[in-house]
Amino acid sequence: MFKWLSKYFASPKALREAGIMGMNNRNFKIISKHNRRCLYPLVDDKVQTKKLAQQFGITTPRLIGTIEYQHEVGKLLDLVKDWPAFVIKPSHGSGGKGVLVIAAHDGHVFVTPSGKQLLYKDLYQHISNTLSGLYSLGGQYDTAVIEEMVNFSHIFDDYSYQGIPDVRLIVYKGYPVMAMTRLATAASGGRANLHQGAVGVGLDIKTGKTLKAVMRNKPISHHPDTGADLSKIEVPFWREHLLIGAKAFEMTGLGYLGADIVLDANKGPMMLELNARPGLAVQIANGLGLYKALKRVDKYYPKNLAPEERVDFVLNGRKK
Amino acid sequence: MLYRLKKLVTIRFILTLFLLASVVYAGYAMYYKINYWGFSLFPKTKTNVWTVEADVSFEADGNPIKISLATPKSSNEYKVLDQDIVAPGYASKIENGRLILEADGKEGIQNVYYRILLFDNEAAKGKVTAPTPPAPEAPVWEEKQKAVADEIIALAKTQPGDLPQQIIRIFNQTPPEPTVTAFMPLKKTPKDVAEIISSLLAYKKIPSRLARGIKLVEDKQSFAPDLMLEAYVDGRWKLYNLSTGQIGLPKDFVIIQRGGTSLLDIEGGTDSVVKFSVLKSVTSSFSLAGKRAKLANDKDAFDYSIYNLPVNQQNNLKWLMIFPLAILVIAVIRNFVGLSTMGTFTPMLLAMALVKTGLIPGIVCFAIIMVVGLLIRALFTRLNLLLVPRISAVVICVILIIQLMTIIGYRFDSSIASSATFFPIIIMAWIIERASITWEEEGAFNSCREIIFSLIAALATYAVICNETIRYIMFAFNELNLVVLFLVMLLGTYTGYRLTELKRFRPLVK
Repeated sequence: MFKWLSKYFASPKALREAGIMGMNNRNFKIISKHNRRCLYPLVDDKVQTKKLAQQFGITTPRLIGTIEYQHEVGKLLDLVKDWPAFVIKPSHGSGGKGVLVIAAHDGHVFVTPSGKQLLYKDLYQHISNTLSGLYSLGGQYDTAVIEEMVNFSHIFDDYSYQGIPDVRLIVYKGYPVMAMTRLATAASGGRANLHQGAVGVGLDIKTGKTLKAVMRNKPISHHPDTGADLSKIEVPFWREHLLIGAKAFEMTGLGYLGADIVLDANKGPMMLELNARPGLAVQIANGLGLYKALKRVDKYYPKNLAPEERVDFVLNGRKK
Repeated sequence: MLYRLKKLVTIRFILTLFLLASVVYAGYAMYYKINYWGFSLFPKTKTNVWTVEADVSFEADGNPIKISLATPKSSNEYKVLDQDIVAPGYASKIENGRLILEADGKEGIQNVYYRILLFDNEAAKGKVTAPTPPAPEAPVWEEKQKAVADEIIALAKTQPGDLPQQIIRIFNQTPPEPTVTAFMPLKKTPKDVAEIISSLLAYKKIPSRLARGIKLVEDKQSFAPDLMLEAYVDGRWKLYNLSTGQIGLPKDFVIIQRGGTSLLDIEGGTDSVVKFSVLKSVTSSFSLAGKRAKLANDKDAFDYSIYNLPVNQQNNLKWLMIFPLAILVIAVIRNFVGLSTMGTFTPMLLAMALVKTGLIPGIVCFAIIMVVGLLIRALFTRLNLLLVPRISAVVICVILIIQLMTIIGYRFDSSIASSATFFPIIIMAWIIERASITWEEEGAFNSCREIIFSLIAALATYAVICNETIRYIMFAFNELNLVVLFLVMLLGTYTGYRLTELKRFRPLVK
């Protein structure tokens, strides 16, 4: 009986010793202490995030325009006429819901990266749905954000079944503490959610190299669909990735945040979005306890450093 | 870090103090309500209420009238609920447990009524103190009488029981002993016999008194009170049946008068008769509570309590009072167990519906609504409707499904189908919408899992609130909701792992 239990369940004591952060702990001790509620709109509203990011010198996909009211939907064609590729997003969306990527268009037919052809009326419908709040967090009326399509670097092409993987950084008090990338699989339906069967790859925060790869809570060495060796991942421009995360702290004032970063072939790392309530799956991908990592920051990491200094601190370890 | 820890401990400490305080308060309130308002710990307690009516009739002779009537006493077994006097033109008051009625210049046959409502006082324990009575004065008898008395007592000693019992038995013997007959008065009314026995007891230095009481029997009309004898034996008053010598208060018997005073005194009238009648009614303990509070001299507290409201408002509140407990269950399921459900309180509302429909019919009915609803919703997906109109359409469809099921339920006399009306329509529509979106975005597996988790949470909540005793207790002792409040708040400071996280993070420990 006890054996069976310990096969499927960890004891709270063992989890505590491993420094694993639970949901209650995250909400009560970390988020409610370090993230003031009034700062949430800065990250929940993508338009605001984008404007702020510009002020702080963080690269984000260029904003083409926003559509706020139903009667404005018609101006879509006008907005995108000089942009061969673009993305439509809900301003208050989460988890990639309602994101529509158009890789090419001629003003009548719109083609998605997977080759699916859409008509103008389909886009019109999509934007209308977005405005009515279909994809927004609380179902409230939303704004559709139209931004340039990221010209994804091809480095990750072999690692993902569909879509482009992004790097998720957990940033605590301005220090990037943990990183992972999520790779879509056929099992996850091309989505990057770990609980749906995507592969989670923990990245060494100092190097951007693979630490561990898991799928459905089990270690995995090769991508189930593409067969790529997951242990070989090394994210280029790692310092720039970390710098975006570090700057996000000054930008938002959030003591605990998640930053989603993609790599553009020409412009380097770009911030896609920030999250004031990043999930705990990063622990599973890394095989490490987040609470332990945060406590280390509390204890040993210096305060009042500039973002660059913090990144150097993370990269080089503790100096004398 | 240490400061933060300290702060945490303080919040928890304060909440724990509040919790303890609320437990103490609720405990005291329960004690008070049980003892003074007569609430019971279990529902459905019915209390017998006896209406005893005394009909006093006499002929007034034109002089000032003063009626003095003995009234029932509160005892361990019965408490006075209410009394009511029908005596037009009389000034009334209660003095030393006697009803005093006064009037001037009445003539002819007079009839006054005194009605009293008594209730079985099993739950509430009244206190009747009995001070030790003084030794009775020895009767003034001649030597000859004393000799006979001695003889009777000697005879009585052959009978079983204690002395009063022995004497009563010897007096009731058939055929009577000649000595006893000789001692008897000419008029052998029960009262005279009782007085003789009493004087014999006084002769043996045993205090005794007469008691009149009424046997509470349903629908008993026009009878005179029964006479009994009370004797102070072995340090307490014992009640003796004057014809059998049996000790103790008979079942359903209420004493209305004790000692030497008469049952009825009338000045200014003749030919007085008092007749009693008894009527039994059954009332729930609850509705008696107000009257009891009045007796306990805290009518004000009761006036502002929910039990003084009209019954249908009470029923609404009764339903509401179970919410905190259900919320506590949900909070535990979400923050301690860690089950993710559709919407925070959706499972609770489902559980509430299940209470009304019954478990099996409710679940079957829920499943039918869900399946039909999801099929219709799948059609809507193709239509690409906007959010609000789409939800509205789902709501209307749910209403139509419920309507159809109710009709079918009536037609085929199926309780399963007709229980459909109890499900919250908007909630059902949102469950269908959520499930459908999850289905599209995260697959059928996740969607079904979410529905099943929600159902599990609903069943857990149902298991707690389906119990009628629990529902009753939460209503009758609504102070317990304060305890629930602080429990929920304390749960808000729980930073440990959720049970599901023990499984989720299992791979992270060796």
